[in-house]
Amino acid sequence: MKTYTDEKKAAALAVLTTQADAKLITHMNSCVHCGLCADSCIYYRAMPGEKYVPAKKVDLVASIYRRYATTTGKLFPKLTGARNLDDATIDEMIDLLYGACTMCGRCTIHCSIGVDISYVVRKGREMLANMDLVPATLQKTVDAALETGNNMGISDQDYTDTLEWLEEDLQMEMENDNAKIPLNATGKEILYTLNPREPKFFPLSITAMAKVFEAAGESWTLSTRMYDVTNYAYYSGHLEQAAIITQRLVDEVHQLQAGKVVLAECGHGSRAFRWEGPNYIQQAFPFETITSIELMLQYIREGRIRLDPSKNKEVVTLHDPCNLVRSGGVVQQQREILKASVLRFVEMNPHGIDNLCCGGGGGQLAMSEYNDRRMSIARIKAEQIKATGATVVVTPCHNCVDQLTQINVTFKLGVQIKTLAEIVADAIVLDK
Amino acid sequence: MPVLELDGRQLEVDGDGFLANPEVWDAGVAQSIAQYDGIEELTDKHWSVINIIRTNYEEKGMAPMIRTICKESGLRLREIYELFPLGPARGACRVAGLPKPDGCV
Repeated sequence: MKTYTDEKKAAALAVLTTQADAKLITHMNSCVHCGLCADSCIYYRAMPGEKYVPAKKVDLVASIYRRYATTTGKLFPKLTGARNLDDATIDEMIDLLYGACTMCGRCTIHCSIGVDISYVVRKGREMLANMDLVPATLQKTVDAALETGNNMGISDQDYTDTLEWLEEDLQMEMENDNAKIPLNATGKEILYTLNPREPKFFPLSITAMAKVFEAAGESWTLSTRMYDVTNYAYYSGHLEQAAIITQRLVDEVHQLQAGKVVLAECGHGSRAFRWEGPNYIQQAFPFETITSIELMLQYIREGRIRLDPSKNKEVVTLHDPCNLVRSGGVVQQQREILKASVLRFVEMNPHGIDNLCCGGGGGQLAMSEYNDRRMSIARIKAEQIKATGATVVVTPCHNCVDQLTQINVTFKLGVQIKTLAEIVADAIVLDK
Repeated sequence: MPVLELDGRQLEVDGDGFLANPEVWDAGVAQSIAQYDGIEELTDKHWSVINIIRTNYEEKGMAPMIRTICKESGLRLREIYELFPLGPARGACRVAGLPKPDGCV
């Protein structure tokens, strides 16, 4: 039965045939099928089998490219391994590119020639997004952001009430009635952002970061109109929707005349805005953008906040968010912060740019369809955490926090999962 | 769609184990999901959180803010995380029979 129309297929093929994407063509055609990527991938390690070898994903997209964009592939598809974009191919793309990849990029680090495999996966997702084949659960999160301004559909009233409630907590915590969580203030040095799951369900990190700002004497504000650091259209592959979400934050920086944007602890959000955002809107940002991780380290180095590591006595390990370490180069900063904030810090093995994904990236946390696979690959992270002997796992990414929380319960690790801001806030020494 | 077997009843759930039809929820369903998550018995404190979430969902069609849960239950934030180790979304909302909230949860 023919499910997918020719019109939809044409929209998908446009990604491969009408855009002059030299990077994509180079990376699709460079794979030498050496197989080194296999063992780098948590899907292959959890479920050994040819299907999950990262190179197979490259080959899937490349075989369609050969069929429709090369002369030999058009004339001799069988000889060149070219595949028609038929229903079976499309179903395989959905299953492998959305359902079996966290876009963590570890395969690229282990690739003998550096093929950017997750970039090819993203292009494949773009093809599927052009056919309106984004998994419903993932698209729902993008739609919530487009329709309500944040990916959890939080109303302005609920958001404002929550921040006022947290401000009371902050004042008690700091024993200072002047401590504030500023909202919609113009002309501040920093426009700070949040992951909507913070105001909705997990607000300790908001109070923690507010404490850091207050202790550093920072000029900062949050916004009501646009505070969402996430951009799930980065995961879905819908470029126009990704651009709309990016543009909103850019507009808000101008509206509030802020000096710079500070991105909350969010791996994909940092990547989507800071490193992909200018591409989405086809314009360089006329302001500085940094992660809260880099900012906190600046405060420590400049002596703007003082930390007492003996306030965090437990053994702490660090989970590196893939998008920050492998794509953003934010690797040493979180370590320097932890060494200044806790007494005993132990690394996972492997860590840094070679770290293993928690399994929640690539939109997997949103996609219930692939939950069984997500929890299968999670075992690898559980074992990695167990081996450290740590009782606290810190990760500067709210998405990772959620996956790690589930890992903690499922594999009975008995650890605490915290953001970096929470650990830093606990170590702060306040001048009385 | 996956199915949750419960006292002879077959309940459809999504891949994350959230009820596909929130209206089939009752106290027995809540108890079963909680046990699956390692909560041996639902205490009065658990129920106060569950009822707040359930009422909010029935009135407004979505899960309440954590602020609302704290204010109405009188529980502290950290107590709620202790009551539901999977957190307010994957823990409490699932036990309360809500669909999975969108976002990084």
